Amino acid sequence: MRVNKNPVTVLVIVLLALLFLPITLRAEQVGEYIAISKEGSGRISIVLDKIASKGRLESTWAGSTDGTIKGALDFTGLFNLMPAPLNIRNAQDGTLNLGSISSVGADVFVAGTMSQKLGVPLLDMQVLDATGKVLLARKYEGRGNNLREIGLRFAADLVELLTGKRSVFGTGIVFVSNRTGNKEIYRCDFDGQNIRQLTSSGSISLTPAVSHDGRYLAWTDYTSGRPDLYIRDMSRNVTVSVRKQGVSISPAWRPGTAQCATTLSHQGDQDIYLINADGTVARRLTNGRGIDVSPSFSPDGSKMAFVSTREGRPQIFIQDIASGVARRLTYSGNYNTQPAWSPTGDKILYSSMQKSGEINIFMINSDGSGMMQLTSGSRNNEYPSWSPDGSMIVFSSSRQGPRKLFVMNADGSNQRPLLQIDGEQQQPSWSLKN
Amino acid sequence: MSYIKPLSRVLYVPAVLFLGACCCNKSVVKPTPKAPPALPAPVVAPMSDIFFDFDRSVITPASQDQLRKNAEWMAANAGKNVTLEGHCDERGTSEYNMALGERRAQATKESMSSFGVDSARMSTVSFGEEKPFDIGHDEAAWSKNRRVHFVEK
Repeated sequence: MRVNKNPVTVLVIVLLALLFLPITLRAEQVGEYIAISKEGSGRISIVLDKIASKGRLESTWAGSTDGTIKGALDFTGLFNLMPAPLNIRNAQDGTLNLGSISSVGADVFVAGTMSQKLGVPLLDMQVLDATGKVLLARKYEGRGNNLREIGLRFAADLVELLTGKRSVFGTGIVFVSNRTGNKEIYRCDFDGQNIRQLTSSGSISLTPAVSHDGRYLAWTDYTSGRPDLYIRDMSRNVTVSVRKQGVSISPAWRPGTAQCATTLSHQGDQDIYLINADGTVARRLTNGRGIDVSPSFSPDGSKMAFVSTREGRPQIFIQDIASGVARRLTYSGNYNTQPAWSPTGDKILYSSMQKSGEINIFMINSDGSGMMQLTSGSRNNEYPSWSPDGSMIVFSSSRQGPRKLFVMNADGSNQRPLLQIDGEQQQPSWSLKN
Repeated sequence: MSYIKPLSRVLYVPAVLFLGACCCNKSVVKPTPKAPPALPAPVVAPMSDIFFDFDRSVITPASQDQLRKNAEWMAANAGKNVTLEGHCDERGTSEYNMALGERRAQATKESMSSFGVDSARMSTVSFGEEKPFDIGHDEAAWSKNRRVHFVEK
């Protein structure tokens, strides 16, 4: 196959092609193509060429964007990343040497150039497969001079192209940290970057969760002297609280609604209630003897997994919201808590305290079959939360002493620290979406 | 043959009694003599915390005795109210412990009511595992942290 030597011609052809093909369809087709061609052979291998540039400012930008793209792709755990082989371009005319890409076993070649338009970074990226077919050619213009953002936009397009699914880039995690001496709510990007403190209660703030439309943040807070549920409308920066007697514990937003479920005890027992975003109680969901806590909804919002002691020790149950009928999900172990329903709808994560006293993360199908242990032999691993695309899991672990946040792939592989800041971090919720 | 059975029974019963007596001797812990009360003993002892078994909110018999004394203090201090703080040890998961701490405080309030303390004078709050009394990571610390703490108001 011949390589087109003129990049302008390539660009014109690709732009014309883009006019006629919807992007998402293309992405799915390519994703499927890569998925089929790689079936059973593990990760997709990508050769990342250095982004070309002219001028000092541009080359600084290019170097930084190289790092952003590599870091983001690496984070997913889905790819083998390799630098361009030395003979990637023919010495005489600088054209691409396709043979060198397939010779290192790569599936995809990524290259680009960085330039500037009136001080604004302009990134021009190309993705080819090993036969030289152009899979993607797109320009990314910086907003202000937010370099990281344009690198992530390209990386997101690349992941969508190769896997057919939305990437985690652009998503974020809310969590609890005691780095100031008090437990407060924080947020960070998917990869632990851009940490920001969201509460300054000087009290105890716990279990943050962001609504599916990104508008509301709900959390438990001791500012009034007891644990109350707070809901902040982040678009208007207005905060309300529920103000019921007793406790309020671990809110979870119900998909497709502006309502969250939380445990209240103002009627005696610790039961789960549905709360409106204005802080009023919509209705009671559970009425079991003992503790009902830690709700997590199925992606269609029709069912809720939760912890109950109605049959003795804490176990995970699933309740149909419309009928109110509940069934027990977990039978192995006698201390199962913190369910997290997958965005794909078929799996539920939970944490189990084992006979050794160690807490570990398990995954089970929503029909109760296929139980799988994801962490082991590393002290306490708790509070699992799915990435919005369902490919990764964030959790807290005391494997290095104090509780810190870790991430892993959805099969339990590739466990690594998410961020290293002072104090303890816990209760992560991967609920900020792009 | 038939006389062997009664004979063995005759021997068996004292043997079991003897063994039982041995076991009893071993397992009985001598009560440690209680310290003599301080000389000008206060009329009513101040209120003390009560403690719980792991993952339980049931009031133990020892705690019942303490609650009876705490109720006496409440009777002797009619102007005072009390907050019952439910706490847990660090084991288990924090959201569940928040609920468990609440149940411990509620169970304590009910028991105090049964000893004649007006419910209106008692409020409850759960701190789950957020405010341990002892920051240690062993049973010695944990057993002190599974408590309901009495705070005068």
